[in-house]
Parts: sequence; structure tokens; C-alpha cells
Amino acid sequence: MLTIQGHKSRYCDGVSRRGFLKIGGLSFGAGGFSLADLLRAEAATGKGHSHKAVINIFLAGGPPHQDMWEIKSDAPSEVRGEFQAIKTNVPGIEICEVFPKLAGMMDKAAVIRSVVGCSGGHDAVQCLSGWRPNDLQSIGGRPAIGSAVSKLFGPVDASVPPNVGLAAKTKHVPWSDSGTAGFLGAAYAPFKPDGPGMQNMSLNGITIDRLSDRRKLLSEIDSMRRDIDISGTMEGMDAFGQRALDVLTSSKLLDALDLSKEDPKTVARYGDGKPYKYQYDGAPTCNDHLLMARRLVEAGARVVSLSFGRWDSHGENFDLVRDHGSKLDQCLSALIEDLDVRGMLDDVTVVVWGEFGRTPKINAKAGRDHWTQVSCAWIAGGGMRTGQAIGATNRMGEVPADRPVHMQEVLATLYHNLGIDTATATIPDPTGRPQYLVDHDPIGELVS
Amino acid sequence: MTKQVRCVLRLALVVSAAALLPGAAQGAKSTVPKSESIRFDQSAEVQLAGRDARLQLLVTGVQTNGQEHDMSRSVDYRVEPGGLIEIEGSLVIPISDGVATITATTADGLTTSTKVTVAQMGNEPPISFPGKIVPIFTKLGCNGGGCHGKVAGQNGFKLSLLGFGPKEDHEHLTSESRGRRISLANPDGSLLLLKSINASPHGGGQRLEKDSHEYRIMRRWIAQGMPYGEASDAELVSIDVFPNHRRMRSESSQQLSVLAKYSDGSFEDITRAAVFESNDPTMASVSDHGLVDLNDVVGDVAVMTRYQGHVSVFQADIPLSRAAGASEPQYTDPSGNLVDELVWKKLKSLSIPASDLCDDNSFLRRVTLDLAGRMPSRIEVEAFMANNDSQKRNAVVERLLASEDYADFFAGKWNTILRNQRSGGALRFASMAFHNWIRESIYQNQPYDQFVRDIVAASGSVASHPPVVWYQQVTDTNQRIEDAAQLFLGQRIQCARCHHHPYEKWSQADYTQLSAFFTTISKKNMGDPTEPNFFTKVGGASAKDPSSGKNLSPAGLDAEPVEITPYQDPRQVFAEWMTNPENPFFAKAFVNRYWKHFMGRGLVEPEDDLRVTNPPSNPELIEGLADHFVRYGYDAKSLIRLIVQSKTYQLSSNAKPENLGDKRSYSRYYPKRLQAEVLLDAIDHVTLSPTRFSGMPPGIRAVSLPDTSFDSYFLTVFGRPQSSTACECERSQEANLSQSLHLLNSEEIQGKLASDAGRASSLAKDPRTPDEKVTELYLISLGRHPTEIEQQASVAYVAGKENQREAYEDLIWSLINSKEFLFNH
Repeated sequence: MLTIQGHKSRYCDGVSRRGFLKIGGLSFGAGGFSLADLLRAEAATGKGHSHKAVINIFLAGGPPHQDMWEIKSDAPSEVRGEFQAIKTNVPGIEICEVFPKLAGMMDKAAVIRSVVGCSGGHDAVQCLSGWRPNDLQSIGGRPAIGSAVSKLFGPVDASVPPNVGLAAKTKHVPWSDSGTAGFLGAAYAPFKPDGPGMQNMSLNGITIDRLSDRRKLLSEIDSMRRDIDISGTMEGMDAFGQRALDVLTSSKLLDALDLSKEDPKTVARYGDGKPYKYQYDGAPTCNDHLLMARRLVEAGARVVSLSFGRWDSHGENFDLVRDHGSKLDQCLSALIEDLDVRGMLDDVTVVVWGEFGRTPKINAKAGRDHWTQVSCAWIAGGGMRTGQAIGATNRMGEVPADRPVHMQEVLATLYHNLGIDTATATIPDPTGRPQYLVDHDPIGELVS
Repeated sequence: MTKQVRCVLRLALVVSAAALLPGAAQGAKSTVPKSESIRFDQSAEVQLAGRDARLQLLVTGVQTNGQEHDMSRSVDYRVEPGGLIEIEGSLVIPISDGVATITATTADGLTTSTKVTVAQMGNEPPISFPGKIVPIFTKLGCNGGGCHGKVAGQNGFKLSLLGFGPKEDHEHLTSESRGRRISLANPDGSLLLLKSINASPHGGGQRLEKDSHEYRIMRRWIAQGMPYGEASDAELVSIDVFPNHRRMRSESSQQLSVLAKYSDGSFEDITRAAVFESNDPTMASVSDHGLVDLNDVVGDVAVMTRYQGHVSVFQADIPLSRAAGASEPQYTDPSGNLVDELVWKKLKSLSIPASDLCDDNSFLRRVTLDLAGRMPSRIEVEAFMANNDSQKRNAVVERLLASEDYADFFAGKWNTILRNQRSGGALRFASMAFHNWIRESIYQNQPYDQFVRDIVAASGSVASHPPVVWYQQVTDTNQRIEDAAQLFLGQRIQCARCHHHPYEKWSQADYTQLSAFFTTISKKNMGDPTEPNFFTKVGGASAKDPSSGKNLSPAGLDAEPVEITPYQDPRQVFAEWMTNPENPFFAKAFVNRYWKHFMGRGLVEPEDDLRVTNPPSNPELIEGLADHFVRYGYDAKSLIRLIVQSKTYQLSSNAKPENLGDKRSYSRYYPKRLQAEVLLDAIDHVTLSPTRFSGMPPGIRAVSLPDTSFDSYFLTVFGRPQSSTACECERSQEANLSQSLHLLNSEEIQGKLASDAGRASSLAKDPRTPDEKVTELYLISLGRHPTEIEQQASVAYVAGKENQREAYEDLIWSLINSKEFLFNH
């Protein structure tokens, strides 16, 4: 008998689409979920070891791209502004003088000087999902990366939400967005420490002894067979019930958010974002959030989103960038150092960006206005080829002169770094259509 | 010319006759049953015409009891004379003209033969682009939505999604033929081929071997000058998978073969070119070559195959494997109930025993939750227990069906999928009015066809005709037609808006024709801009098909276009088409939705996805229910009676060892977690601490709220939908950590337990004995008396606590956290 010489058909990454859907069953909010599944998932994702994660730092309002990572030294003064470029530790790359610490670790990061695709909305939606706010709005909108990852991978540790939003409440509400679950529904929304779930993390009105008595009584009377439930929800509820009780006795999540548990020297290295200047209707420059983000990732979070400052510099642009920028320089460099020292930098991607760029021409109030034709991003870790500057704007900083990078390419890179192949991974929407996570590919310069 | 390329097959197209034979006792699953005879499923007259023709051999073994099984891969093939064909595995490849005899021999020495004629090997017919090249792109995934099929293409190379635009694809490829993508002079140097074998770095990796059939076809097509094909080429008419139905042992396999039928009457074996997908990968997997492998499962599973916009489905029935000599399961008398007859029939054919009937307590709790969305009260429980009437279960059904609670509960169900929402803020007159209209129509048991007609053909203002709110909420024509199709027809046609539906027959033209019904709706402000009037403009209804650019008249799915006079309302015509008793979708979509509501699992899953490629687990039953529904004038209550009065519905949820593995044949009642609103109401009922909802009077239960926008963390974490889609799936029944934390430890729940006006407080002051009080708590929370063990544990707990109020708080906490409370079972 002859042997079959059939071709080996594989999907782009060797994982079939069905394979992905199966992984998708093991989500934080999953049905069809037994304790055994949970433990297996934890084992597979290496609980206790460093796992792949993203820290998405949103610079609300739109940072001035020409005053951050690409100083337009050759532009006339009404465009160039007040800042000088400084050398970094990567020959040939210069960034704004406000970021000396980041300049010293340029080899660990990449700057993208030609981000395009901004919708112009004053919101975080594109930085969180890659999509415009109205995309698929009729079925609830697109899920943000944190929600999509929760759906695809579930939690690393069942007592720690995989998707955490630290963005503080702001008067301009769209800037406090930590990502919406879109068509995935509320179960996949980010966990917010200032949200209603937080107070459930510590005992409400009863003592630990009484909780223990209750648990004992429950175990005596809760005797229904679990295996008769074809959906697996009963076992899933047991598994999460157990984790919930663990949370109440010792919460990794609460600990992660509690900076008094951190070495004060470390806290000091991140610096203090106070006094909050130029905050108006935006987020404070809360340096602590970056430290919390690291602690959350260590505890098991996969995606932490936060909003840092208010960069909508229609006036006093340069003072604002000096204030926000130097604070960002301190906490962001501390974060990267920490991740590096702890051996997490290859697993954790940190991205820092805003919803659009700002006008080349400085206005009468020393400000810069909205500019959607180009913006910028700073990105580090995730096992990427760092130490490079990608793209450039033209002399006046108006449009990309080279290598426009779509916002979705940045998201695709984040997904890639999390171990998700955007060419094959899909999530079914409520109409049953498989939806790809983004339409663009990862940035080839950063990942292969 | 193309006819010659094809493998012209004249097949006896044998379909397994034994597919539905009652289950015969099977041996242990590891042993392959011994066959009495074997046969080729090809007839003796197969002709392979041309070098590209292929034939997937199917050899079937037949046991003494008529049971058939696939032996295509376990027999030895011998060919005489040599040199005419090769057999790779079980695939025949022609070599040279002539007649060959293939003999298959089993290990036991059974043999069977078939003849294959090879012809036209010397011809070099032009290769058709749409006929031969596009299917390769589809099979290899090149034109998938994640790769070159994306709107923007991939790395500069774009193909139409899943190959539905072969003309554009051909243009893209050939217009670039002067470049590197395709090299006429050196076909092997074409990027198209280099990328496919990853000789030139390819983001999608290697898709082909250089010596593969597909590679050689593409290479030859390039060398031929990349012909598109002729207008006179025969068109693909249909594809058929063989066998299309088979009874299989668990953990066995089945080779499939797929035949394409062309307009000139010829056939082609496209097994290697078609795409296969299992509908339930946990039950069955399928290889690229069409080999189905079953896991250790029982029930039924479908595998879909698709090719060039055509689909066909293989279905396997997998009976329970039982030890030899085990007795046949017995079933109680179906007593003329259609549901029982057809469920029993299926269970018998799969040898799955049914669980026993549930006890009265379970029945009362189950049916009260399913019909009225609430727990039975203590009074109801005790009255039902004390009642000795043999018809008391039916009497309860009637009482509940006539109740306001039934209307509240089902109004909530429809209100959500009809997207009656408000975006936060204060209560809206429009959403209240629409909810009220839905509730009233359910309470009055308005026939379902009328209900749907009132919505889709709604005209006027909210005040004059509240269903116009649907038009307010679902604002564009596409959404309306997509919602209507998903809600009322169980057809998800969204895909066809932009491209041919990959798993369905629906094309963009079908979509356009359907949407044409909705093109004459207009909106007029009559004072209050938040409450516009909706009306139908006078004029012809038509819509432009984006693929052909033609204006199309309205037509239902699978229906002829209709001529509508300018003075008719096209939506009335649409409603008439839908609600016509002959409509193949309308009644089925409804009965499946309701079946799932009561039985926990739809006959088709998801319940609103009634694709040809997603067959029902019990086709006769869905037909039977739909017939009943139509025959009784779309009477929802009559359908509900049929279901809940059946023994099937009244089976215990407790599994027998033999039916524990059954997940889709209804051998027992499948437990369901209480949905968010019902659970909150149940907790309120047990704790005697009602939840207040902003803007609503006290005493309003969560299930009767007029929309899903009321602020409640409890309802949110337990999966209440936001009414933003027409899909029931928006309601999440999944478990998560936030739920557990909330139920075990929230201020909200602790507040209810410890409320001064609550049940724990009143029980603490109650002079009755702990035994009596514990019994009452069980009756209220679980609808039954405690067992002796439960009674002892509970009484001991209460007795061991000094603070009685806290003791009862703790006991109620334990009861509402028990699975028995959280589930309808």
C-alpha cells in the first residue's frame, strides 16, 4: 500500500482557528469551566512564572508628537518650539530633552514617529482597541485588547482579573476609559479598583470566623451533583467560589494595589506625580499607577490600562510637556528598570501613546491644537527588537515622511507579543461572525 | 473542454440505509466489529477523465445486523493491470488510459472489486481559474479574512474573501503578471508559487509542497498563460458529501467523499479541494482530507463541507456503547405527546436510557421558574404537595400560563432581543410603552404571526402603535433586516451584506432583495422630535445589489421576487411571506427558541442560527414542533403546553450512569443557572428584602422591569444583557469571579441578609421550633422539605449560635449560595 503524500495545511501560526476557540472557552468569565480546567489553564499559562502581558499607558488629550520622540530641529521656530533634542544611548536616535532617563535606556525601547489612522475623537478607544468608536456599534462595539485577551486566554490566576483598568475617573469621561468589552459583554470589561467590584474584595460586615462558619455550613448542605450540568457552569461556579474565598482571606489583587507592601525605595524611584498640574478635566499624573501596573502584572494581570495626565495642550504646551514629561520620564524609566531587573521585560510590553498628535504651528497661547494626520508612540519590552526609531515625519512634522504606522499595527504588535496571531485569531460576535482582532499586521520592524 | 478535465463519475450514490436502524448491542469500543461483507460505494462505472481527476475510494463494511462502518483505510487495495492508476492511501490518481480493476481485501479475507476507466490523459485542457485555482486559495486559507482576503489585502496582495470574486482575483493576478508575482517565462519563479512553498519568505508560512497536486495545477495554469475560463464552461450546481448520514461507534472514523455536480451533468470528486469543518470539535474532528474522527461521545454530530459557495453536511449518529448482553433501555409510554414520541425515538436509536420522571417538588419549582420566572411560594408548594389529583401538573401549567408573571417573564425575553433599551438617564415613555405592548400581547396570547406583523409593519407614533419603537431603536435598513432575519427566521445574514455567506447559500443579491422590503420606511417629526412618526412612503421598493450594481425587487429568502404596487406597504408583503405557513424558517425559529428556553439546549445551537450546515439534533422533532405551532395558529401557549406537559420536560435532572454523557438528546433535564433577574428576585424572596429600582414603584421585581438599563451591579455581573443586539447570546450565563465574590461577600447581599425587616430578623424572633423554621426556609428557598441530614445540620448550626439572628443569616447565606438554589434543575 502506498502512503498518502498529502500537503500539510496549517494556519499561519500552526494553531487552527478551532484551537483558538477552544482556548477561548477558558476565559475569566467562562462557562464550560471545571476546576481541573482552571488548574490546567493556570499550569499552561505558567502561573507563578512571568507571563505575557501589556501595560497600555494612555496619554489623554494627544501628546505633541513633535515635542516627544522626534524634535523637529530643522523646522522654523514657530513650529520647532522650545525643546532641544538630546542623544540617547542608541547612536543616531535623539529624543526630547525632557526625557533624559528614557534617553538612557533607548536600547530597551522603540519610538514610532509616524503613527497614523487617528479618528480625531477625544477618546482612548483607538489606543485600547485599535478601532474607531463607532465600529460595530450596532452590536455593542469592538472589544478592547484587555477584553479580547480575557476572552481568548482567561485569567492567569483565577483570583486576579486578567484585565485591569486603572484609569481614574475624569470629568472628560472618555479619558477615564480603560477599555470596553464591546460585543463581549460586561463579563469581559476591565476590573476597576474604583469600581463596584472592589469593595467585594474585602469582608463586608462579617468577621473571618463567621465566613469560615458559613463555608462549613454551606459545604454540609450544598450537595447537588455537579456532573449533571452539561454547561459545566456548576463546576465553574465552585472553582470561582473557592477563589473568591481565597481572595477574602488573602487577596493578591488587593496586595498588588497596596503600595505600602512595596519597598519604599522602589516607590520613591517611581517618583511622585504631585502636585497635579494642568489636570483640568483629565487624569492626574499618577506615577503610582505605573508601579501598580507592574504589581498587577506580577499578580497575574494580562492587560493593565491606565491614563496618565492630560496632554491636550491648546495653551502652555511647553510647560505642560515639561511637567508631565519629566514625571513620565521618571516613572516610566523606573517601570522599565523594574521589569528588566525582574526578568519580565521580554514578556511585558509597555506602550505609551495618545489619541492623536498636535498642530505643527504653535498657536498664540504657546499651545498646539489637535492634529490627526500623525501622532507618535513609545513602546518597550515584549521581546521586541528595541533600540530603534520607526518612521519619521516631514520637516515640519506635519505628515509621515516615511513608514506610516497605523494605530492598528501597534495593537497587532501588542497582540503578537501576547502570543496571539492576529492573522488567525477570531472571536465570534453575537451574530456568529468570526471577528478578527485587528485588520493590520504587527510592526515588522519590531517583531518578525 | 472543461468536461474532460473532470472526473466523470457515475455513481450509485449509496446512502447508508442503516443510518437510523435501532441500536444494536455493540462490542467493547476498542474492538472493530466484524463485517459480513464489504462493498465499494462507487459503482462499477467510474471514469477518471484527465490527469487532474481524482477519486476518493469509499469502502464500507456491513455487519450481520446491517450496521455499516468505514473500511476505506483498513483494506488493502490491489490494482490490475498495473500502470493505469496509483492509489495513495485511498485516493485514486490516474496515470494512463485504460480500464483498471481495484480489489479491496480486508484482514479477514473479504473482498470486493470495482472498475475505474482512465481516459483523456493525453489532453492538456485549459485550467479554469474560478474552477480550479480559486478553490486552491480557499482550501489553503490564502483568501481567508485574516490573510489576503482582508479588505486591504495582505502585504500588497489582495484576494476576494473566500474567493467569491474570482474575476477581481484574476485581474489582480494577471494585471500584475508583468511583475514578479507571476512569471510566464519561468512559472516556478512566480512569487505566487515561491510564496506558497515558502521558498520566498511568506508571512503565512509554507502552504504547499512543491510536488503537490495543487502546486502542479497552479504551475500549469501559469504556463498556459493564466486563462480565466470560458463563459461556456459548465457551472457548479451543487456539492454532495458521501455518506451524508451514518451511524458510527464512538471513537471510530469515517472517510468522506465530496462530489461536485455541474450544469452539463458531469461530476467531479472534490474531496481534496473542499473545506471541512466539524460543528462540534469536542465531539468530532475532521482532517483536510475529509477523515472524520469521533471522540468518546454519544449523540449526534455534523461535519460541514463547503466548496465555491456550496455546502453539504455529513451527520453521524453515535449510539451509546454498552457491554454485550446489557438490556435495552425501556421508555415510558409517550401517551400521544409528540415531543415524547420523537425524543424516545431518538434515544432508542442511540440506546440511551432516559432518567426517571422528576418528583412533584422538582416539577413545581422547575415549571414555575421556566414559565413565571420566579420561585414557587411556600403556599404553592404546600398546596401542590397536598393535591392528589392526577392532573395536577397540567393544572399548574394552566395556572401559570394565565398569570401576569408569565407575561412579565416572557415580555422581558422579547423586550431584550427587540432591543428595547434606553441609554441610561431617566425612564423613557417610548421604551415603557413598547415593553407594555409586548407584555400585553403575551398576556393576551396574541398569535405570534400577528405579533411579528405588528412589529415589522409598524407605522404611526409610539402613542398610537408602540411597536414603532423597534424602528426607533434599530435605526438603519441593514440592521433592521438583519435583526428581523435573526429574530424571526433564525437566519444570520449579516455576512451576506458584504460577501457571499461562507457557510450558507445566501449571496449579496439575496441580502439586497430582503433589504428592499425595508427601503420605503420614512420618519417624520410631528412635534416631539424624540417621538417621530414612522410611515411607508408611496413608491416602488428596490435596493441596489453592490455586487452586480443592479436594482433588485424585494424577495424573501429562497423565494421569487414579488411585484409590489407603489401603494402597498412592502413590509406587509414581507410579513405575509414570513408568516405564511409554508415559510420554511419562521415557525422553526420560534419553536427552537422556546424549546431552548425550557430544555436548556436548542435543537439547533445557537438557537437563532438555523443554517443548512448547522442541522438540528432531532430534525423530526423541530419539524413536528413547527407543524404543531403552525397548525394551532402560531399559538405560543399551545406550543409551551406541548413541551412542558411532555414526560421529556418532566424527567429528572439526575443522571443515570448511562445517560450522563448525553448532552443533546434530552435523556434528562439539563440544569440551567437562574438568569440574573430571576436570581435577584429569588434572593429578595428568600431574604424578604426587596431591591429598589430607580424610578420604579416599590415591589417591582427585576424580571418585570421595562428595560435593562436599571443600575444594578448584581444584574450586571450575573450577565444581564444590554439589549444592544437581537441575539439571546448577549445574556451571559457564564461563571466568573465577580459573581462569586458578590454572592459570597457583598454589601448588597449582606445588607439583605441582615435587614431589620428581613427574614433572618423575623425568624430569630419567631417562637416556632428551629425544626419548623428550618423546614420553612427550605420550602421557601428550594421548594422542598429538607432531608434528615440537612435538617440536622441546619438545626445544629442554629442551636450552636448565641446570636439567633446571625445564625439565620448564615443559614440563608448558605442556602442562596447552594447550587440547588442557583440552578433550575
